[in-house]
Amino acid sequence: MDIRNKKLSDDEFYGIRKEILEQWPTGKDVDFDEAIEYHKSMPETKSFSRKLSAAKKERKTLIQPRAGVALIDEHIKLLQYLQDKGEADLLPTTIDSYTRQNRYEEAEVGIKESIHTQKSMLNGFPAVNHGVYGCRQIIENLDTPVQVRHGTPDARLLTEICYAGGFTSYEGGGISYNIPYAKDVPLERTIYDWQYVDRLTGIYEEAGVSINREPYGPLTGTLVPPSMSNAVAIIEALLAAEQGVKNVTVGYGQCGNLVQDVAALRVLEELTEEYLEKYGYEDVTVTSVLHQWMGGFPQDEAKAFAVISWGSSVAALAKATKVIVKTPHEAIGVPTMEANAQGLRCTKQAISLLADQELKSSALELEKAIIKGETCAIVDKTFELGMGDLALGVIRAVKAGVIDIPFAPSKYNFGKMLPARDHEGAVRYLNTAHVPLPQELIDFNRGKIEHRAKMEKRKASFQMVIDDVYAISKGRLVGKPK
Amino acid sequence: MDKKKLVIGVIGADVHAVGISILQHAFEDAGFDVTNLGVMVSQEEYISAAIETGADAIMVSSLYGHGELDCRGLRDKCNEAGLKDILLYVGGNIVVGKQPFNEVEKRFKAMGFDRVFGPGTAPETTIAALYEDFGMEAPKTED
Repeated sequence: MDIRNKKLSDDEFYGIRKEILEQWPTGKDVDFDEAIEYHKSMPETKSFSRKLSAAKKERKTLIQPRAGVALIDEHIKLLQYLQDKGEADLLPTTIDSYTRQNRYEEAEVGIKESIHTQKSMLNGFPAVNHGVYGCRQIIENLDTPVQVRHGTPDARLLTEICYAGGFTSYEGGGISYNIPYAKDVPLERTIYDWQYVDRLTGIYEEAGVSINREPYGPLTGTLVPPSMSNAVAIIEALLAAEQGVKNVTVGYGQCGNLVQDVAALRVLEELTEEYLEKYGYEDVTVTSVLHQWMGGFPQDEAKAFAVISWGSSVAALAKATKVIVKTPHEAIGVPTMEANAQGLRCTKQAISLLADQELKSSALELEKAIIKGETCAIVDKTFELGMGDLALGVIRAVKAGVIDIPFAPSKYNFGKMLPARDHEGAVRYLNTAHVPLPQELIDFNRGKIEHRAKMEKRKASFQMVIDDVYAISKGRLVGKPK
Repeated sequence: MDKKKLVIGVIGADVHAVGISILQHAFEDAGFDVTNLGVMVSQEEYISAAIETGADAIMVSSLYGHGELDCRGLRDKCNEAGLKDILLYVGGNIVVGKQPFNEVEKRFKAMGFDRVFGPGTAPETTIAALYEDFGMEAPKTED
């Protein structure tokens, strides 16, 4: 596999495409020209790119749930409820975990069992099995733009079907849907497969249909230092832009410290725009997404609403273009539609209260400078390792631990970098391992964690990290000793 | 006495990686010999690891809701592989959505699991069950 950060040629793309569409019988229903016509016949109000771009201009924060069930009719009912009773501005279709691993036979069993037991036996919507026309039923029964959300290392067939099916936004990327979502898939493979996804997006764009792309921001959702997730999001935005993507939403998962979170999201959007411009991608619209707390949740629903409100506050104060909403059932698993709508309405209320407020402080400026310094150090080193080629660079950077994602299942992740919270709950590097931070930023991180250790009268260690992972579900942000 | 041996892992197409490494840590601290298969473990992988290590228990984690589809037939496969009396535990968010736990427990016990644990179970709860099922005394803590 000869990977370069270069737009796939038509020969290369269409050569792969033929094989992709034969992976499952529903692939035969994908017809590009007909799909373009279908998209152009849709009302503009169903375009994700358009709605995001407008929200960015108005500095509005839109709300979006996660949701997906096994059967088409049930899925439509669920999304209609979230649209009408949850007041969602944007809708999702969350894909089930079998489809994410290309296990379409098992998804088929899940569909049959769901019909038989009259409850969804899958944790999402198996879009490949339902095919182009199944997807279109969803789009046609809603007034709101719908995005595909998943976690699929090889998403090429899924993308083909979903784009032809009328979805106008698509989550994922070659790093963010590999390292946190797979055990044994080489990074070369997913970078290459996501070039295909991005190129397909570019081809739609060139035909006059803008599809929004969203690198998956939170990664493992567990104590990921903001600069690490920011670096990955920026790199994926650059890789997407090379393939012709013009509408990108970069994401960040709430860590818990208000000032750090607002700083992280502001820096992410600013730096993405800067890097895109620096590397010659000038006509890309960049928006941002804040993911409410991705870690363990309290079981008590009242307490869960507090966590949801906290994330909503971050989104509003950071002026995120949209926020992905959690539900009061988070501790249990997949929520009921009522619980999902409650999470949405709670979020909408918090956002509307904070919409016109701006967070300004010297602490925020300091935090922005720290995150910016760390993020640029990682991204620039990645370019350097690839000798200017970002695709090569990222493969080498992950191998070398320059990009190192905590708690990731992938065996290709370096796994030596260790994060922990500081005394105020901001996520810092306890051990940078091979993450190439300048000495003064290493010292800054170390100082912050040593301060916590002193306050807690214990040594900084892995136990601190374990305590931090459990903390929120026990009602606290920092895992302090009893 | 030799340490009791556990095979642990997250079943199916599930990639939730955080909890399983914490469970490994907790079970080892509690005095067990732990083989952690990580995420996306198939039934066959649990069984061959159990045979290879001479395990006393297989501990199945599932966080993503497909537990019911993924766990079916595991007890039969254990029996066929000669692991007739091996202890089988399952825990996590093992079904899709909020369902009454006593019904979920009944369904999984009917599938042959000895113990079934719901969402948010603390490692100490599972450890106490292991001590009971192995007829072991809980080690005295130092403080």
